[in-house]
Amino acid sequence: MEHAQYIIDSTQEIFSSMIMLEVTPGQPYERAHEPLRNSISGIIGLAGSTKGLLAIHLPNSAALAVTTAFLGMEVEEIDDDVRDAIGELANMVAGNLKSALDPSGSDIKLSMPSAVHGEEYSIDCLANSQTVTVPFSFNGDNFLVELQFRQD
Amino acid sequence: MEFAKKIVETTEEIFSTMIFMDVSPEPALEEGKQVLDCHVSAMIGLTGSISAMLSIHCPEATGLAIAGGMLGMELEEIDADVKDALGEIANMMAGGLKERFSTEDIDLELAIPTTVTGKSYTISAPKDSRRVVIPFSIEQGQFFVEIKYNLM
Repeated sequence: MEHAQYIIDSTQEIFSSMIMLEVTPGQPYERAHEPLRNSISGIIGLAGSTKGLLAIHLPNSAALAVTTAFLGMEVEEIDDDVRDAIGELANMVAGNLKSALDPSGSDIKLSMPSAVHGEEYSIDCLANSQTVTVPFSFNGDNFLVELQFRQD
Repeated sequence: MEFAKKIVETTEEIFSTMIFMDVSPEPALEEGKQVLDCHVSAMIGLTGSISAMLSIHCPEATGLAIAGGMLGMELEEIDADVKDALGEIANMMAGGLKERFSTEDIDLELAIPTTVTGKSYTISAPKDSRRVVIPFSIEQGQFFVEIKYNLM
């Protein structure tokens, strides 16, 4: 499916150019709604001709590794720097994805990113949206990039 | 822009016309103060002349009461019905805010509502964003309406 390829391209590009990490995509799938545990998620809304939500779900250890690489400084716990970095990561991946979904640049707008962090939580998008989830791995850590969307 | 006033007006309007429930607004919380002990949050992105995220945060008892009021049924746990109902309320409130802003020539588009549920989670916005949180009380307890925004 083309959205999975957009997710893969955007994620690899942002990780290699902004975070200096090479990430390897796995097989795209449709994730069952099991809760996320000990994780942090960067989320950002899409409005316009494609409406939806882009989310990056990282287990705490992956979030620390990504933030350390991104900020170029060692981080050891999920603090404000990590929350900010993961929100910004969702923002960058969504920005890249937007240019694939919307080449003219005027049909889709991004909302403000947020970061959700906790021991156990679920994030669900409503209203008949489709979901595509792509797993990625790097240096023994894993994370998911998920697009929930509806095209009007 | 009077975010606080718009939130209070919109919340009172949606609750009285769609959920048939009286809500009492309380003074806005101070900047940076955390909203604690919530078990279900519904959020929706707004974009356009400002970039924002509107959220409704509910402890379990108020989340069940509000969703139950909207659906006209007794609800006992935070399930898909509760998430759908609160997501729809967030959607209607964002619609109400959009209308109020449009009278000031501030145009906004809505993303899709998303819910976050769990035993323990925090939701954070980018460091440079501004934030208004208004607590409301109903018979079953308090809930919080929050808007985080950046002027563009």
